[in-house]
Amino acid sequence: MRADDKPETALIDPAQTHLVQELKHSSPLVGCRFDPSGRFVFAGAQDNTVQRWELDGGKRTELVGHKSWVRGLAFAPKNNLLFTGDYQGKVIAWPIDAETPAPERTLDAHRGWVRALAVSPDGQTLATCGNDHLVKLWSVPDGKPLRELAGHASHVYNLAFHPGGQFLVSIELKGVIRQWDLAEGKSVRELDAKVLYKYDETFRADIGGARSMAFSTDGSLLACGGITEVTNAFAGVGKPLVVLYDWQTGKPKQLLRPKENFQGTVWGVVFHPSGFLAGAGAGAGGALWFWRPEEPLAFFTLKLPNNARDLDLHADGRRLAVPFFDGAVRLYDMAKKPA
Amino acid sequence: MSYPLPRYRWWLAVGLLITLAAAAPAQTPLHQRIDELIAAGTPDFERLAAPLADDAEFLRRVYLDLTGTIPPAAEARAFLNDPSPDKRRQLIDRLLASPEHARHMAHVFDVMLMERRTGRHVPPAAWHEYLRAAFAENKPWDELVREILSADGEDAQRRPAAKFYLDRDGEPHLLTRDISRLFLGMNLTCSQCHDSPIVEDYKQDLYYGIFAFLNRSFLFTPKGKPAVLAEKADGEATFQSVFDPAKVTKTAAPRLPGGPLVKEPMFEKGQEYEVAPGKDVKPVPKFSRRAQLAAQLTAPENVQFRRNIANRLWALMMGRGLIHPLDQDHSANPPSHPELLNVLADEIGAMKFNLRAFLRELALSKTYQRASVPPPGVKEVAPETFAVARLKPLSPEQLALAMMQATGLTDVERKALGDKLSEAALYAKLSGNLGLFVNLFGNRPGQPADFEATMDQALFVANGKLLRSWLAPNAAGNLTGRLGQIQEADAVAEELYLSVLTRLPTEEERREVADYLKERTQDRAAALQELAWALLASAEFRFNH
Amino acid sequence: MKPFYACNSPEHHLSRRQFLAGMATGALGIMGGGFSSFIHSAVAGELKSSEKRVLLIWLHGGVSQLETWDPKPGTSTGGPFQAIPTTVPGVHISELLPHCAKQMHRLALIRSINTAENDHAKGAYLMHTGRKQMPNMEWPHLGAVMAKLLGSPDNPLPGYIHITPRGQGGFNKQDAAFLGPRYCSVSLADGKPPENLLRPEPLTESADRQRNDLRQRLNNRFLQGRRTAETEAYTQSYDQAAQIMERRAVFDISKEPPKLAERYGSHDFGRHCLLARRLLENGVTFVKVTHSNYDTHYENFEFHIEQLGEFDQTFATLLDDLDQRGLLQSTLVIVMSEFGRTPKINRNYGRDHWGTAWSIALAGCGIQGGAVVGKTNADGTAVTDRMVGAGHLFHTYFRALGLNPKKNHYVNQQPIPMADPAASAIEEILA
Repeated sequence: MRADDKPETALIDPAQTHLVQELKHSSPLVGCRFDPSGRFVFAGAQDNTVQRWELDGGKRTELVGHKSWVRGLAFAPKNNLLFTGDYQGKVIAWPIDAETPAPERTLDAHRGWVRALAVSPDGQTLATCGNDHLVKLWSVPDGKPLRELAGHASHVYNLAFHPGGQFLVSIELKGVIRQWDLAEGKSVRELDAKVLYKYDETFRADIGGARSMAFSTDGSLLACGGITEVTNAFAGVGKPLVVLYDWQTGKPKQLLRPKENFQGTVWGVVFHPSGFLAGAGAGAGGALWFWRPEEPLAFFTLKLPNNARDLDLHADGRRLAVPFFDGAVRLYDMAKKPA
Repeated sequence: MSYPLPRYRWWLAVGLLITLAAAAPAQTPLHQRIDELIAAGTPDFERLAAPLADDAEFLRRVYLDLTGTIPPAAEARAFLNDPSPDKRRQLIDRLLASPEHARHMAHVFDVMLMERRTGRHVPPAAWHEYLRAAFAENKPWDELVREILSADGEDAQRRPAAKFYLDRDGEPHLLTRDISRLFLGMNLTCSQCHDSPIVEDYKQDLYYGIFAFLNRSFLFTPKGKPAVLAEKADGEATFQSVFDPAKVTKTAAPRLPGGPLVKEPMFEKGQEYEVAPGKDVKPVPKFSRRAQLAAQLTAPENVQFRRNIANRLWALMMGRGLIHPLDQDHSANPPSHPELLNVLADEIGAMKFNLRAFLRELALSKTYQRASVPPPGVKEVAPETFAVARLKPLSPEQLALAMMQATGLTDVERKALGDKLSEAALYAKLSGNLGLFVNLFGNRPGQPADFEATMDQALFVANGKLLRSWLAPNAAGNLTGRLGQIQEADAVAEELYLSVLTRLPTEEERREVADYLKERTQDRAAALQELAWALLASAEFRFNH
Repeated sequence: MKPFYACNSPEHHLSRRQFLAGMATGALGIMGGGFSSFIHSAVAGELKSSEKRVLLIWLHGGVSQLETWDPKPGTSTGGPFQAIPTTVPGVHISELLPHCAKQMHRLALIRSINTAENDHAKGAYLMHTGRKQMPNMEWPHLGAVMAKLLGSPDNPLPGYIHITPRGQGGFNKQDAAFLGPRYCSVSLADGKPPENLLRPEPLTESADRQRNDLRQRLNNRFLQGRRTAETEAYTQSYDQAAQIMERRAVFDISKEPPKLAERYGSHDFGRHCLLARRLLENGVTFVKVTHSNYDTHYENFEFHIEQLGEFDQTFATLLDDLDQRGLLQSTLVIVMSEFGRTPKINRNYGRDHWGTAWSIALAGCGIQGGAVVGKTNADGTAVTDRMVGAGHLFHTYFRALGLNPKKNHYVNQQPIPMADPAASAIEEILA
């Protein structure tokens, strides 16, 4: 399979999803993304490195520069840049395809952990969020700060650009999603994600936010993955959940759950251009779930060998990348197996 | 007074005792011998001894000691007005025969045997009912102990008796300690690790002799069923002294202090079990060491067993053991009246451990019935002379039940039950209030009952909601409700004092009540509650005197 | 255990002071009630500088040593956080404690604790009593021991107060074990005053006085010739109750300046620490504040950010406040848990129970600020220098407070060592 393969949706059958490639690192992985060209997969590791694998041949290159874990990765392909954000609040810009990428620029983006970042559909704006309750916008070409979006009242866990380019959404620990008008720099709408939030009275701590966030290709749906019905925050005992919002009304349209009884968290969620969703989750083990937006229970589950920690979809529309606790990125092909 | 016989003198004493018992026909009743021996124990006893308590003090005392609560005002009035010279004896007999006596004994022995442990294997209510029924039929003490120490929880009918073992989780050290303390009056705790450095008599091998009856036992939980006590066929009671630099390991065979060595049949290897152990299988050894314990402990030859119960019942009535503390029976801590303890121990044995008959003799004694104030001119009376009645703090249960009676809650419930009234029905209505008192006033789980007066208790009495609700006047005729109906201050004082303190007020107290009420014509109801409260919170109420 | 108080004569009441002196050395027994009848005139609120106190901050559930006092950044076990410099050159602690880093000159760290205990209840027992749990023995909490050894009989307030995040308040008799409930902990649930502290609504102050006058007259008549240690304890428990009622404002943090309250933090832990300081200032010997919860088997890092975010600033404020009031030098401050957390980060980003190599922090009375004792290896999986257990800590607390840990308690005349005789104090941390 080549990186320039087009998504051939007719070939896709999630129920036939199978492992096609395993890329190993020595340290547990926490997040991963395919680059938009589809040549590489990048993953942040608990040894503070970012790992880059060339899918063709599996060549591994280490990106050294962070002093903490990287979970957020985003690409600005026109500028050949990968942005990575760490627990220290630092964001580093790297050349995507350099032989040995070195930091091109380091942004002191936030006070406290940058859990997620995203690049606008036009490739010009980088958005970052942090534990300082802020969302920040940066100019991709020169790294200059553009705007600070204040309004969240707790740690900001995730964000996503609406495909239309006018809006950005971000979600905070306490289950509030804010919709920001990028031109105005204002919060224009709040979406309720309290179902993903709980104050655990026993442990006296908050659990919530979205571990993953994604818009459907046409922008009509927003998916937020996390954990709900928590009975024990400190052991992560709860039910994995993806909340699917109708973008127009801003109301939840569907609560997507595993079909099986599974305790844990949805760590990654992606939309397939053909309309279904895939989610990767973990608790006592890992799983990949596939949902149709109109059905609450997953129509297919693939048990994973280990705890999954993120999920991304390749530009080919066939392969899913999952980073694991055991240090591997595993690639799963959703295409029908040859007869 | 002779020095007591050597300790643990089982076998040699038997013949002698039988001879003694036979040689004393038509002898003076036990309660008189008690008084004689108590008097003989202190050189100038006559000068120090308090006169007999007046009827009111006796009435309150014997009610609390035998039934665990105070009498209703009407009964107090009737007793005080009864001219019969024999009325104390009649009262003692009536109270001992009452269902309230069995209830009280169940509370006393629950606290003694379980020491407020919260167990999960036998529900407290089942255990309480087991004890209550035993005392209601006046089950002999040795029989009760045999039941308790041979129960393993297997038989559903007899399961409550297994609480002693099960709710100590069958832990052999804990059981060794508690069996030695509670049934033998010997606290061998320190002898677990070495010969006791404090008590010369308490050697480490005594401890491990008891331990050897128990160390093969363990808690076994059959699938889907409650836990029972099971036993293995192997496992030795080995021990070293922590003081021994050579760390010599010794092995103890099952043997009670001073008792015979338990003979153990030998089985060939592989033949030790009736039911061999396996996964989810409760083993049954051919020879059970634990099964020997109950018989050995309660054997007529075991002097220590009857000394212990005689001393404990003495302490229950007199407020202090002849051996004090109760679990320190050893030669360095002789009884205050050694001969008396011998007599009591032998008599209770001769009575076949009829606890009711024994308590009756204690209650009939002058020693029991003395006033709690020394005679005029006497300032110091040592408690171990028993020349003056000891003050005994009410147990949490006594305090709760006495407060409910004093405030009239009990009378109201009694009335409400109508023809459904029975001791059990009334207790069911009242017992829900006991837990709070036990929590506040009770000893810590696993610890002997000990009096402690703490600020939280005082705050509870002073400001707590429960007592306030009991003191609020009630049309059904609780104390303050009744007092509210009485116009004349003198009559108020009488009803108040009889209800709460089981006695008539003195002249000074009548005046005090009248003065209190005179100033409070505007809020007389509140004043009555305050008066009742002051009596309830007084030391006179808090102690059995 | 009953006190030896055989005599019923009034002369003996006058020798109560000797009796108390005996009690202070632990040679006699435990007396139930307070001793307040002797101090009616004493103004108990004023604290003598010679009095010593203990503040225990209990990080319930087991705080991670790697996210607090012994960070290992850049290792496989270190997690995502950095170490930051402190006011003591060369000493680094986790970046999650920036305010504590500024207090480091007041803090001493012990980084080499091995309690070999990974069970919550057993670990808590061990750290509170300095002894392993045994089926036949109950040990008193440090708080009860200190309430007895350091407590002033002049103070009607309990000697050992535990401010809990919530739950049921009340007296925890088991905490004092053989010392007797006089010294047990009193829980203030969510910092609320003890139960039944306030006079019930319709009862006026004067009516309360009147009824108590009558109670006392009754007692005086009844106790003529009947006085015993037990009756004394009983009547005095009412005096003690009356006195604590009078001092109810001690439990009321709304009396504190709002600016200060703000510095402590508006969250529960902030309010509770402010109350703790108020209690210490008013002569409560031992105050424990529980901060809950650190039992982070899942998302250890997220939860430590949240919990330590509360702890860090509040605790630093508390140290400053104690210092400014001149109380710090006479208050031993202990920050500890039932155990630490595993260096290995589990598959759910959690850390599990770990008693093998962990840390606590001390400050204040008798403690050498800035001292760091003991070491763990590079990834924090083992103690490499100066291994200590709970017994050593117990000895150290005694010594820091100027007490001899080699003394005995006496239970039924039997000597029971106050601290585990097999252990000894950590001398290098003592001032």
